[in-house]
Parts: sequence; structure tokens; C-alpha cells
Amino acid sequence: MGILLLVAPALAMVLALFVYPLAMSLVSAFTTKDGAPSLDNFAKAFELYGNDIVFTLVIVSVSTALTGLFAAAIGGYLILGAHPTAVAILRSLYRWPLFIPFIVAAQCMRTFLAKNGLMNNTLATLGLVNVGSLSGLLDWRGIIVTFVWKETPFVALLVSGAMASLDRATIEAAANLGAGGLRILTEIILPQIAGLMVVGLTLAFVTMLSVLSVPIMISGGSPTMITVDMAFRVNSYGDYGVANALAFVSYVMAGLAAWIYLRRNVADGSGL
Amino acid sequence: MRAALGWLLRGGLLGGLAFLIFGPLANLILWAVAIQWYFPHKLPLSWGFKYWGEVFKPTSDTIAALGTSVLIASITVVVCLLLAVPAGYALGRAQVPGRRLILLLLLLPQAFPNVAVYFNVARLFYMVGLNGTIAGVVLVHAAHGLVIAVWIAAAAFAAIDPELELAARNIGASAGRTALTVTLPLAMPGVTASAIFVFLESLDEFTGTYFVGVPDVTTLPLAMFTASLAGNYQIAAITALVLLVPSVGFMLVVERFLKAEMLAKIG
Amino acid sequence: MQRTAVLFAALAALALSLPATAQKAVTLNVVTAGDQNMVDYLKDYLGPMFEKEHPGVTVKAVGTGPGDAGSQKIYEKLEAEKANPAWDIDVAVIHQKAAGEMVGKGLLARYSAEIPTGKLVTSEAAKNALGSDVGGYVMPMFNSQTAIAYNTAMVSDPPATYDALEKWVRVNPKKFGYNGIKGGMSGVSFVVGWIYAHSPDTDRLIKGPYDPDTKKSWDPILAELAAFNKNVVLTPGNAGTLDMLNRGEIAMGPVWVDMFYTWQSDGKIPPGVKLKLIGPGMPGQPMYYVVPAKAANAKVAEDFIALATSPKVQADGIVKRFNWYPGIDTAAVKPQLDEASWSKLFVDVTPEDLATKGKPFPIASYFNDILETYERKVQ
Repeated sequence: MGILLLVAPALAMVLALFVYPLAMSLVSAFTTKDGAPSLDNFAKAFELYGNDIVFTLVIVSVSTALTGLFAAAIGGYLILGAHPTAVAILRSLYRWPLFIPFIVAAQCMRTFLAKNGLMNNTLATLGLVNVGSLSGLLDWRGIIVTFVWKETPFVALLVSGAMASLDRATIEAAANLGAGGLRILTEIILPQIAGLMVVGLTLAFVTMLSVLSVPIMISGGSPTMITVDMAFRVNSYGDYGVANALAFVSYVMAGLAAWIYLRRNVADGSGL
Repeated sequence: MRAALGWLLRGGLLGGLAFLIFGPLANLILWAVAIQWYFPHKLPLSWGFKYWGEVFKPTSDTIAALGTSVLIASITVVVCLLLAVPAGYALGRAQVPGRRLILLLLLLPQAFPNVAVYFNVARLFYMVGLNGTIAGVVLVHAAHGLVIAVWIAAAAFAAIDPELELAARNIGASAGRTALTVTLPLAMPGVTASAIFVFLESLDEFTGTYFVGVPDVTTLPLAMFTASLAGNYQIAAITALVLLVPSVGFMLVVERFLKAEMLAKIG
Repeated sequence: MQRTAVLFAALAALALSLPATAQKAVTLNVVTAGDQNMVDYLKDYLGPMFEKEHPGVTVKAVGTGPGDAGSQKIYEKLEAEKANPAWDIDVAVIHQKAAGEMVGKGLLARYSAEIPTGKLVTSEAAKNALGSDVGGYVMPMFNSQTAIAYNTAMVSDPPATYDALEKWVRVNPKKFGYNGIKGGMSGVSFVVGWIYAHSPDTDRLIKGPYDPDTKKSWDPILAELAAFNKNVVLTPGNAGTLDMLNRGEIAMGPVWVDMFYTWQSDGKIPPGVKLKLIGPGMPGQPMYYVVPAKAANAKVAEDFIALATSPKVQADGIVKRFNWYPGIDTAAVKPQLDEASWSKLFVDVTPEDLATKGKPFPIASYFNDILETYERKVQ
């Protein structure tokens, strides 16, 4: 019993500062201002922000997919790369965005991705694109770029750590049999670290669903992520009902990702 | 010939990657030293450190925000460790009944988009008078950091060789004494790593503070956000650079503590 | 190890005890909604001036953000501490909609008759806030106006009315930008102006009475706005529009006249950008100084507002330094300024423009209807 006392304070904090507000949120989403149960909040949320809900799912899913792709590529090259200089350069390069907070990343991207921002200007100066035909990326695409920029190093770090602790014998065996780098990556390495990939990508998915600073600073209008709409609803109208209805939608989205994680981890009994 | 082409490709890809990674950061630095910059000029018209003077004058908002941020982060680390180390010890070393369930419960905050939770926490805090106070913000930051702290602490404790503890018990030390004088020091690198993570997370935390702290508590990220939305790009860029110093600095420190095997143990 | 623990504990104890140390002098808590220029005004100009005249008083200025969201935060804070004996906001600067709500909820003190400058305000705006009677509870800090800013290098003949703008945007896609209704009132003003331009009975929107069926008549009007939006760029807010103008990414957009002039004098807008107040009109609004009903330092608050609304401060601070139109009567302010400083406010937007095309916002219920219909039909 004494052991449980050690864990109790931490649990109490989670209960008070997470479970209770979550319960408040659910109640608020499903009732009217007077407390009667109703789905009015949801009706209004879908009517006003239906578009944004779809876009949120699209943005976060695409970002997660791209993150997974790039993280696997980076991890793969770090393990399989034949040229030590290139590998060393990559290793020192890819980790930088990891330590840039989201809000700073958003500020950087705001000017970098603008129509007359540094990216377009540099590309134009190098003669790679025609300036007149460019448009800024300061909309939902910019949000994807920022998310991928931020999350890829995190997932790549997890993935390369996992790849490093794999038994090299399997890799060398495949190489001896004549398999090329890409094939080794996809058929030997990735299946072995799939569990950790899922963990990393799930965390990335949920993190992206939680970010407020990036969509507010990068995307001006619709479509935008529902986090912005939630904040708008609460700040401008004090309308907690609709905001919590939107929150419920985001819980469902995160729930999908968490369900995949749980199936993966509780099943093999690995992890903590 | 093929080798040269290979190097061209590698160079091109790595160069492109470097541009994508450092370009946005370079932009930040440009704005930090720009005084006047408007269309159609590709680079600032006039350069200088005028805005640094504004940002760092003793009465400026930024210095106050920096102080607030560091204060909040420090208290958050203390609160978090006080809760996480015992919990991590229990979960990492002892047989706790319902261990899976407890871990799940502690994992829960990470599984939910926290924007939603935060504005409800703000509402809760309004009712108990914690909204807009440093204590309120600390609680939010600590709850957020608790999960990582417990994970890392548990992993650190789990990695300790039980033989060392047994040896201490064998020569007569009590369970408590063993825990404090043998186990804890051995887990220190991991505990320190989690302290650093919690500190950084708190320093950079924006969303929770946006709902719970405004308008009385202004942290550095909030100050940066306000400056950016108001179009004060120079001030936003300088504030962002200030925010980056601890993050990048700790990147080097953390590399020492986070070994690859411990990372693989997480999750 | 033990030493570190003791050190941590000491640090924590010290930090937590800091707020408890009593302040001997008086701290005047001023909370303002609005953009950064509002906070700058308090911090860099008005605050130090008041502190010099009242030794022992420290002015603490805090901003809650632009748009009605900023005022909403102040409203929520006062609502939350309603039951407390003394509140921690002494002076608040808020928008009209929030003022109406707060007077209705009994959150504000009736103070303007007590201060000497109270009689210097005779305009309708000091008595009526979007249909609510606020006479005696508010003192206008300034009057502001929105107008369309255009870059003369890219636009040689700017449109003079909403209809002309609609046609212009079809021929010049993605060259006009505004922020919708999120993130700042310049976009909200533009949308309200759009409704005024297409509505048969603007007077009823501004003066009342409220008819809940009116919003149905806006559906086709806002459907046209949705079509208009397809050819424009949506910016992140007031500053976002100005910023895009600065970077040449848009050629035209609605802006607050005061923010525009301040940005231009800071070198953040190229000199070739000018203003035009388009017909039939665009809204403007005052912002109000109010004293919460249970403010801890009510007397000092009243002195503060008396200073802020004195002719000298209105002339020097409001008009000259920060480019706002005065909150108190023009007749009291104009003599305090030299000709050049006064006329610079009216270079692009003349007094005649203001008289004919400067409009107030609609009454609160219509205002909310407009915002909601926009969210339903246009977004």
C-alpha cells in the first residue's frame, strides 16, 4: 500500500488538472447553457466549422504521413549510408528543428513562406523559379510545412535510435544477398521498428492536433484548424458550448490515433 | 563519373535540406537585425541593433516576461520532480498493483489534444481564483510535464541493476535509505534529463499560458506571440532568439544524457 | 544531493512568497483591449506622465489583445471576481460592445460626472454604445476610423465605392486582402461596411429597433461577399493586413487610420501607400475608459482618466503622437495643436469624408447577427 502512496500525488494532479476539466468539457459540449442535454452545440459547430474540421484531419494526417516518410528516409540513410562524411553531415543537420519551440517555428515560417518571403526570394535569385508565378504558402499548406519541419526530427530521432539498436546481422545478411538500400530499409529494417514508428507518429499526430500557435500565426482565414476556432469561440463570445463540441471532435480524432497505439503496445506487452 | 554524379546528388539533397532547416532560422536572424524592410527589397533596407535596445531596456516587457518565464519554469521543475520521482521509482522498480492502469492514466494527457483541456482548465481556475496567477500557470505546466518526467524517471529507475540495491540491503540499510542513498543517485542522470525536459517544455509552453495566464501573467512565448501578431517582427525575432538560447544550449547537454537505448525504452 | 533538495525547496518557497510581500505604494491596474499601440500608449506616454504628477503611484498596464476578444477577456475577469470585495482592475479600456454588456451587468461605476473633463464630451458616442445606454459610465479615449489603404505604385485609380471595389477585385484577383472577422476589427469593419452598402435601411441597423428577421435578408448579400472572398487574400489580422501591404503582397486592404499612420511613421509601410474612405461608408468606433464598480483604487482611477481626457493630453498624446482622432470634443482639442499636427490626420480622409462616410457600428444585436451570418454563409 505504501507503494501506491508514491504514485498518488502524481495521479491526483492528473485527475484534478486533466480528468476533471475533460469531464467539464464533455458536459459542456452535450448540454445547452441551461444544462439541458442537447446536440445543439454540435449542430452549430458543424454548420459553422464543418469545413475546418475536415481540413484539420487532412492537415494533420498529411503531416503525419510526410513526417513518417522523411523520418524513415533519414533514419535509413543514417544506418545504411555508405559515405561517412555525408552521414555525419546529415546527423548534425537534421536535429536542429527539434529544439525550436513551435511558436518560434511559426514566427520563422511566417516570413519565410510568404509570397515575398525569404524562400521565394532565394529561389528567384537562384533563377530556379519565375517570381511572377509564385504565391505564398501562408495557408493550410504552410501549416503542413511547419508541422513536418518540427516533427520529422523528433520521429527521426526515435527511429534512428531504434534502428541503431537492431541486430546488424539481418542487415548484413540482406546486403550480402544483393538487396539494395531501399529494399533493406523497407523489408528488413522498417518492419522491425514498426512498433516504435507507430508510437512516434501517434505522438506526433496528437501533438499536431494540440497546436494553437502555428495555425493562428500562419494561416489567415479559412480553412484553418479547429484549434483556432475553439480559441475564437471562447475568446470572442465566451461560447464554451460550441468550443467544447469542437473539442469533442478533436478528442475523437486523437482517439483514433491513441487506439492504434494501445493496440500496438498493450498487445506485445513491450514498453513500460 | 558515377561517383561524381552520386556526390552531386548527395550534395544537392543535403544542401536543399540545410536550406530548408536553416532558411527559416536565417530569416529570424535577418529580422532581428533589420530596422527597415519593405517591398520590393529582398533584404532589409537599413540594419542595426536599435530594436535590441528596445527589447533589453530594463523596463521592457521582454525582460519582465523572461523573468516570469524562468521563475515559472523553475517552480514547475520542482513541483514536477516532487511528484514524478516517487512515482517513477514505484513504477520502475516496484511491483505496483494496477501498474498498467496507472501508466495508462498518466499517459492520458498526452493522448488528448490539450487546447481543449486548457480552456476548460482556465474556466475551472476562474471559479477558484487561480486564473491569471503564477501558481495557476505552474500547475498547468507541471501537469503537462508530469508525463514525460514520470516516463523518463521510470525508465531511469528500471535501468538500474537490482544487484546494487540488494547489496545495500544485505549490509543492513533500510528500504528507504537504500532508495535515497543508492538508487536515486544512480538514477540521477535520467532524473536530471527529465528535469531539463520539463524546464524547457515550461519555458516554451504557449497554449496553456495563453488561456490560463492572460492577461496578468506574460511569459516569453506570449510576449513573442503578441509582438508577432502586432506586426512587430523585429521585436518578435529578437524575443524568439532569446527563447532559443536555452533550447539550443540544452541540446548539447541533453545529448550526453539521452542514450539511444533509453530512448528505445520510452513507450 | 540533500543540499540540492534544500536549495530547490528554498527557491520554491521564496518564489511563492514573493506575491505576498505587500506593496506600500499604490499600484494602479490599467487593463486595455486593442492592439499593441494601446499598450504602448499607456506604458510609454500616459503611465509615466501620471506617475510624475502623482508620486507614490505606479501604473501597471496590461493588454488583453485586439478585437472584441480582448474586451471579452476583461468582461469575463470582472464577472468572475464579482463577489470579491475589491476588484483588481482599476481602469479598463474597452470596445463598445463590451461596454454595453458590462453596464447591463452592473459591473461599471458611474464616474464621468465626477471628473472635470466629463463635460467636454457631448457626442452621441459617449452616451450610446451600439444601442446600449452608457451615459455617465464611459469616457471616450479616442475615435477611430477604418479606411482602405492602397499602394499608389500598384493602384493608380482606387475604387471609390464598395461596388467599384467588387468590380476591381474581379479584374485584379488576390490583390485585395482583409482579415475576415477573426483576429482584428478592421476586417469586421469591412464586412459591416459591405452590409451597409447593400442594405436598404442602414439607419435602422445603427439606431434600432431590432428585428430578428432582418438577418434573413442578408443571406444573398453575404453570398455575394463569399464570391468576393474567392478573389481576395485572407490576412491574419489588423497587423497582418498592414504587414502584407508592407511586403507588397497585397495592393489594397482595410486598415485603422491610426494604426496606418503609426506604422508609416515607423517605416513599416512604404511612403507611397495612401488611404481612401470608400462609399457609402465604413465604420469607426471609439474606445472607452471605464472604472469597474468595485475597483480597489477608484479615486486614483478617476484622476487617471481625468488626465487622459484633458485637452492637452488628447492633443499631444492621442492626436499628435498616436494618430487617433480625439475622444473629447474637437472644439476642446483643436486649439491645443498647431495647424500642421492637426491637419496631418485629415490628409487622405477629409473632415467632409468623415462626416458623410464615417459611420458607427450597428446596434449590438444586429452586430452579432452580422458576425454569425458571416460565419455561416461566407466561411
